[in-house]
Amino acid sequence: MSWDPQHDARRSSAAQRRRVRWPLLGVVALLALLLGLTSLLERGAPRLDASAPAITDLPSAVLDAPVRCMRSDDRIGVEELRGLLDPEGRITSGIVTACPRLLDGARVVYVGEVVGDVLRRDGGAWVQVNDDAYALELGPFGPHRERRGFNSGLSVWLPDGLHEQLGPPGRHGRRGDVISVTGVLLRTDPADGGGITVRADTLDVLAPSTTVDEPLDVMLVVAAAVATLSALAAFGWSRHRARLRAR
Amino acid sequence: MSTVLRPSVDDLRLIGFYLGKVLGGLGLVMLVPVPVAIALQEWNAAAALTLGAAVSLGIGWLSDAHLETRRTLSWAHGMVIVALAWIVGSAFAAIPMHVTGRFTTALGAYFEAVSALTTTGMSVIHDLDHLETSMGLYRHLLQLAGGLGIIIVILALFSAGGSRVGALYVSEARDERILPNVLRTSRFIARVTLAFAAASLLTLTPALVHAGFAPLRALEHAIALFASSFATGGFSLMQASVAYYHSAPVELIVMLIMFAGMLSFALHHALWSGDVREFLAHLETRTLAVTGTALLVLLSLGLTQGTYGEVAALVRKGLFTLLSAVSSTGHQVNIGEIYLTDWGVLAPAAIVGAMAIGGMASSTAGGIKALRVGIAFKGVVHDIRRFLLPESAVVVTSYHVGRRRILRPETTRAATTVLLLFVLSFLLGTMTALITEEVDLTEALFEGVSIGSNIGISIGVVGPAMSIPLQAVYVVQMILGRLEFVAVLVLLGYLFSFRRRRSPVKARR
Repeated sequence: MSWDPQHDARRSSAAQRRRVRWPLLGVVALLALLLGLTSLLERGAPRLDASAPAITDLPSAVLDAPVRCMRSDDRIGVEELRGLLDPEGRITSGIVTACPRLLDGARVVYVGEVVGDVLRRDGGAWVQVNDDAYALELGPFGPHRERRGFNSGLSVWLPDGLHEQLGPPGRHGRRGDVISVTGVLLRTDPADGGGITVRADTLDVLAPSTTVDEPLDVMLVVAAAVATLSALAAFGWSRHRARLRAR
Repeated sequence: MSTVLRPSVDDLRLIGFYLGKVLGGLGLVMLVPVPVAIALQEWNAAAALTLGAAVSLGIGWLSDAHLETRRTLSWAHGMVIVALAWIVGSAFAAIPMHVTGRFTTALGAYFEAVSALTTTGMSVIHDLDHLETSMGLYRHLLQLAGGLGIIIVILALFSAGGSRVGALYVSEARDERILPNVLRTSRFIARVTLAFAAASLLTLTPALVHAGFAPLRALEHAIALFASSFATGGFSLMQASVAYYHSAPVELIVMLIMFAGMLSFALHHALWSGDVREFLAHLETRTLAVTGTALLVLLSLGLTQGTYGEVAALVRKGLFTLLSAVSSTGHQVNIGEIYLTDWGVLAPAAIVGAMAIGGMASSTAGGIKALRVGIAFKGVVHDIRRFLLPESAVVVTSYHVGRRRILRPETTRAATTVLLLFVLSFLLGTMTALITEEVDLTEALFEGVSIGSNIGISIGVVGPAMSIPLQAVYVVQMILGRLEFVAVLVLLGYLFSFRRRRSPVKARR
């Protein structure tokens, strides 16, 4: 039988392709396994009923249909929209940002949850008041796993005499006071360097600040413990190999 | 015609070894917030972070045990490792985020991790305002690690020597060595970062206390603000971003940190050495001075036409946003939708221009980079002069980057090629948003440029409800923008070469 160098080269090439293929497939399999396991952990987290924190009997929004006012678009008349406003209604952060000129300088009612910090200074306090689904319908994410998007809200200035009524603001593990404020909406508040603010003069606490307990995710803790032990074993193995190499 | 050989098992071993080191480093980043989580009894966050850290460190140690090699890195290896560090590293960084359930899909968690590591700062997280303190810290640490470069942070600290990591450093879109070797350069970057960290914390913490924060809470926000501003990342602890603080001193300090983050580390070195002339003569300084002034004029014209009537508002809203855009930080002092509904046309156009240009090369900033814009502009001027002068005239154009250099055709070509690739990336994001979302051209373009340049200022297209195809395209844009295309294109070439049938033996003939 005659020796064929091209045949040998082809066989060597095929063998090399196989040697390269397996590590690559291994990496893909590892990533797929991680995705599968983390997805299982994510779906297996304990969930609690999210209906309790819902704030009911809220005034309806001042404007039913969401309208976006573009300054470059004259077809949407702010004056016409003003005629459609419900004078008894409450404003929402969505309406204000979609059409900032619509309510500039108007007396408004705004409802939401105080989150983050109460920044007391200069004869009053700045608070961030959110009116998103977590604030008014679900409570903070954690005890429940309902995903309803970004937070949204407005900055509210509370003069001395009002902010003293507030409890601890909303953060992880706590839903802050849900308040209703009445005041003047400013599109460019000079006291805030041109920001959109509500300068409140009355405040009602609709639901006081309260802690919300997040249930311990036992599956996640077990997975973390197993992964930690495995990592420690890998560390030991790595040191052992290093010692062998050093000899 | 030269032939690219199919990568061998030894090549994979080398790549796997260094990738393992990167994953180990990311694991350490995940471990840092664990004590905070335990102290604050955020048990689920502690478990999520420990899980991510253990998996990353475990794989790092396994690769250390089995893939250890003394082979030297080639440029191609460096490029592939860096591209994989961002692509695969982000997948591991996303583990703690994914298991907490705050993202609509696994792709959402990956988007967040890529956004952090590429210092883009766009977020798709649900209910940020009730996020655990430890997870907030983790997001910001990821940005700092990404901003300073995963590769230099990890390898400069853990590698045996600097020469082997040179290929990684340059692959990471940092082509300017400040000091003779990479290890010393990395240590200089670490020193600059620590100095700015100290200065930032010493100024921001009292400013935040003055703004009304309790001292510990002020420290927490100061750390986050420093990490996201110096890394030009743009994540924030609250959804309202920097507008949350209602404080001119805080905004001023953040502006200074963003400016420092935007400067190349070579210019930091010049300034530290007292070489102000180098700073003033540098092509990037001059490019940014010219483009920044032009954009500021455009922005002011736009904002004075009915948006803001006071100088304070022009500075605190207009100038801040411009600096946030040009430095590629992405901090916001407005709700994003306002750019569309209250800023008119000129001002958002100026912001888009600033986002496209970005900061300086070899800095933590993103974008096309002032260096390339300056070189491309000089190339155009060079060509015009060549046409206007007699054919026999020798036209020489020079520029100053570290020293006076002659502008060569290949330099101009390299700059314009990357510039063109950035424009293609912007178009890709814009077109995809127009196809998959109900947005108009202004919104799609604004967001496409912001993502492609790793800026992070959002007009409202990016969000948890964003379609999966758009999220995927934005992820690609962020990685391409951070690595400035070359490393990713080399990786694609590497992957393509696996499919080659040509054997190394035959190729050598």
